[in-house]
Amino acid sequence: MPPVNNLKDDKPKWVGQSLGRVGAEDRVTGRQKYAADLRIDNALQVKFVTVDCARARIIAIHTEAAAAVEGVRCILTSADLPQPVPKCGPAYDDRPVIAVGETRFHGEPVVVVAAETEDAAELAASLVRIEYEELPPVLTVEAALDPGSPLVQDHLQSNVLTENHFGWGDVDSAQAHCIVENDYTFPMVTHFAIEPHAFIAAPDPDGITIWSPIQHPYVLRRVVATALGWPVARVRIIAPDPGGGFGGKGWPKVEPLLAFLALRVGRPVRLVMSLEETFQAVRRASAKVHARTGFDADGRIVFQDLEANFLLGAYADIGPRVVSKASYSACGPYRAPHARVVSRALLSHTTPSTAFRGFGTPQASWAVESQLNEAAARLGLDRVEIRRRNVPAKGEEFIPNENGADGNWIESLEKAAAAVAWDVPLAPNRGRGISLGLKSSSTASASFALVRLHHDGSASVLSGTSDMGQGARTVFTQIVADELAIEPDQIVVVMGDTSVVPFDSSTSASRSTVFMGNAIIAACKHVQEQVAAIALEVGAGAEVPYEELLRAYYGSARGEVIGLGSARSAYVPGHPLGGKSAFWEMMAAAAEVEVDPETGMVDIRKLVLVSDVGKALNPMQVETQDEGSAVMGLGHTLMEQLLLDSHGRIRNLGALDYRIPTIEDIPAELHSFLIENEDGPGPSGAKGAGEGGLLSIAAAVGSAINQAVGVAIRDLPLTPERIWQAIQDRQT
Amino acid sequence: MQPFAYFRPESRGEVFAALREFAPDVRILAGGTDLMVRLRSGRFRPNAVVDVKRVSGWSSQIVETEGVLRVGAGVTMTDLVSAPSVQQHFPALVEAASVVGSVQIRNRATLAGNICNASPAADTAPPLLVYGAVVNVASRAGERQIPLSEFFLGPGRTALAAGELVESIDLPIPVEAAGSAFQRITRRRGVDLATANLSCSVNRAGEVRMAFGAAAPIPLLVTGTAASLEEMTAQARPISDVRGGAAYRQAMLLVMARRALEVSLGRLRQ
Amino acid sequence: MNLRLTINGKEVAREVAAHHTLLEFLRDDVGLTGTKECCAEGECGACTVLLDGKAVNSCLVLAVETEGSAVTTIEGLEKDGQLDPLQQAFIDKGAVQCGFCIPGMILAAKYLLQENSNPTDAEIKQGLAGNLCRCAGYSRIIDAVREAGRAARQ
Repeated sequence: MPPVNNLKDDKPKWVGQSLGRVGAEDRVTGRQKYAADLRIDNALQVKFVTVDCARARIIAIHTEAAAAVEGVRCILTSADLPQPVPKCGPAYDDRPVIAVGETRFHGEPVVVVAAETEDAAELAASLVRIEYEELPPVLTVEAALDPGSPLVQDHLQSNVLTENHFGWGDVDSAQAHCIVENDYTFPMVTHFAIEPHAFIAAPDPDGITIWSPIQHPYVLRRVVATALGWPVARVRIIAPDPGGGFGGKGWPKVEPLLAFLALRVGRPVRLVMSLEETFQAVRRASAKVHARTGFDADGRIVFQDLEANFLLGAYADIGPRVVSKASYSACGPYRAPHARVVSRALLSHTTPSTAFRGFGTPQASWAVESQLNEAAARLGLDRVEIRRRNVPAKGEEFIPNENGADGNWIESLEKAAAAVAWDVPLAPNRGRGISLGLKSSSTASASFALVRLHHDGSASVLSGTSDMGQGARTVFTQIVADELAIEPDQIVVVMGDTSVVPFDSSTSASRSTVFMGNAIIAACKHVQEQVAAIALEVGAGAEVPYEELLRAYYGSARGEVIGLGSARSAYVPGHPLGGKSAFWEMMAAAAEVEVDPETGMVDIRKLVLVSDVGKALNPMQVETQDEGSAVMGLGHTLMEQLLLDSHGRIRNLGALDYRIPTIEDIPAELHSFLIENEDGPGPSGAKGAGEGGLLSIAAAVGSAINQAVGVAIRDLPLTPERIWQAIQDRQT
Repeated sequence: MQPFAYFRPESRGEVFAALREFAPDVRILAGGTDLMVRLRSGRFRPNAVVDVKRVSGWSSQIVETEGVLRVGAGVTMTDLVSAPSVQQHFPALVEAASVVGSVQIRNRATLAGNICNASPAADTAPPLLVYGAVVNVASRAGERQIPLSEFFLGPGRTALAAGELVESIDLPIPVEAAGSAFQRITRRRGVDLATANLSCSVNRAGEVRMAFGAAAPIPLLVTGTAASLEEMTAQARPISDVRGGAAYRQAMLLVMARRALEVSLGRLRQ
Repeated sequence: MNLRLTINGKEVAREVAAHHTLLEFLRDDVGLTGTKECCAEGECGACTVLLDGKAVNSCLVLAVETEGSAVTTIEGLEKDGQLDPLQQAFIDKGAVQCGFCIPGMILAAKYLLQENSNPTDAEIKQGLAGNLCRCAGYSRIIDAVREAGRAARQ
């Protein structure tokens, strides 16, 4: 066994510690540069022109007045692009880079103005006159399913973009003692990252560079290259750390359009979207779930029969994947001997829905968990007990031919129940609820990492992960500090520039700690192998510091050791998702609420989260992710929804009337607990985390409200008005 | 935001001259917390904005004279809620002004601006109506007083004529014992616009004055007794919008009326 | 229009368009990009600065209104290379996630502690209710403000 340098400890020194966030100082001093903070010389400012409805036939575009505005350099319409106008998208190439002939959602760019100043761009945009004829839009699940409705994409046969059928056993002949059957709805909600989207595109000698706070720089590179018809090597993406992503910054939107614009004007172009424009750009798919669940007399699930219709927007974006992935594991962390899940991705004349924390699971979980609560009530069972009877044991397969339960999930359930004091009698108007949420993780993905051990013993980590607040830089620093046995302040994590960092599939699906973490460990091992060989060659012992060792080897010329590591989630041909779920993200949530029965106002007195993370590489970061995720979940549970008018316009467009939780809306008590059995596939047995908190908050709170005031509401959000109305309906 | 001319007059005369010169496309800027939102959205596209904060004699004071508390047009919500005289005599106004926007908003927003904006949901309007506030208005033609109950004409519309400027708001200091309170319903617990709001006062004779907002085109003042809360709130004409449905608003008025009356009676007894 | 004011203790004189907000002026003309823009209508608090000592939304103030005033932005909190105790507390308590809301949050907290050196948790919440954090690190932010207040009182 060759000596390994610097005596790496068997016991991790940094992993498992709540090391302070890397980059925190830049963020508390204002030094952190987000996309809109970047200044690129000679950049033109961009403004989009849209029409005032969702669906319109464009008749004519008049740009003379706009072109006369001082400082205007380009007014671009679909006619100025290569014909036919390129279409692109992460799942299907279905979105024209600018509206051609017809708009399909309110906010879709029809004309783009580039000018020397933002003022000139804004003025010119206001002077562009678009003649159009408004056409009837498709705005709801019902309309999208109606064969008589207009087609959103006219080359398709219907507005059902994809339909999935998952299942096993024989639902139709399964015998149940009790069948619960209900419809549940989940509203359109938007990410509302505090950083609105911002982009710069600039021609460069090699091709083009695009700055975008994108979570998946390599996906953006591919999509832009495809739109331009260029090799990916000519497209460079620089992704500044996003000011919040949550999936909304995952997939390319307007970058291809900006690329064409920049190439046309031969100058950098910069677009900083308003919050309103950002709302029109990204949202979560709304959903209507029809659930029919059969139970035996003891409360064991006999069958799950689910029909889930997800309302996507005008273009696929990553929506079909959201639908298939969420419905694949829609039955939740429970045994269901017979299951049938039909799910559809429906097109509509609305903002294209995209990835959003939880990736479709919250929509399904709201239905399935609420079904269990109703069954418990009908069978006279406790809501914890009915879950206890259905949760699979560790290692047990609960979806055929899929990885089984990878944790002791009962432990999470029991811990949540205990922490919320489940059995303690309640005060009047108070109620408790409990729920489990389960999300499949990354399937068929790949991460590469480079670790460069420099001549002085410091190290650079090159990773395509995006640090959007989850703290990836911090965790990677901890991993490398342990693997190379150096101090965290000797490590820099470089991210986001595709000309520098190696390939990574995405920063999504809570996959980075597991996959990029493993890739980084592999890269460190690769470094260590080379270091060991060097030590052998120069005859040095294990205790020789890197700096001395490398000097002995390279001399004054200096040199470094570069380690390459990779990790992938295996591609499985024929698997419905392209591969098995590498781990399960499992969360138990329990809430105690107090409801004012006269007004419907809900006060979350206590919210408890138990997250089975395998191993928390940085406990504080995992806890804050869980807490934040849960509070975000309270948003769609209690207040968030995008409301559309009959023209397909968002009625509550902007921060004034799209409400998200403030600091006064957090639970009076919020506790997050971590289950750490080191049974995950990631570093030190870690599983992914960070989405779990929001998966099933709605069902826990909904059940608690039901216990408090005796109403079962199946439509989110549970606004004060909706609760009040349900109480009125019950009384009459 | 579209360009406009900005004036920062130092005298009332200059204010009136600017208002005349640019009428009708001119806007007065005080705290700016409503105006700026409308300038940005394009709902207001004035040629000129007249910033009155540096006019000589422009009052940011709260002065007690002859049975009246005079609140200068420059008084912000933050100033208002921390003034002992307001706290002593007008607790419902303190409660209302404390929930207008956030701290940052209250540090800029003025009481006068809140009423000039004439939002049906303005939180300070109901208590001001209940307390019998009077608006002191000046123009080139001179000065006049408008009772607040005659000030609101519709959403965003007031009895102010072109060229008129609100200089202060008078609050008659109650001579007889009364208790008063403010209530509101919102969609979330932190900073929010009222789905509906209500203020009431009650005296020893059991006479109740009540005003409510976001329940009619203008904040409405009604009178009655503790036994007639339903009749009083039935005078509302709420609409349905993104913040709430008409039926919910109507029902909440009665809930708030009962609660506000209970608090008011408690304060009356103190 | 010509504008003179003091920013973070330094006199600044610049031409500025009358319709530009203080936020735009700080970010685009002065280059102080620590102040963030999100909703641009006074609802999110990301653009909070201190104007003559008071926390305001710089998106709701015209730059020209600040003639002769003193503005403090997040860049002005460090003194002699030392972080403000609030900045340090935000780091220490894990209150920072994506960080985009943090400059505004810290300035709102600065104003809060200046007005009330020993706030209760309810008062902290009230003082920061105009600052949205979508990472929702709210409970850690409360910890940080409480801690900074305690440190300042000692």
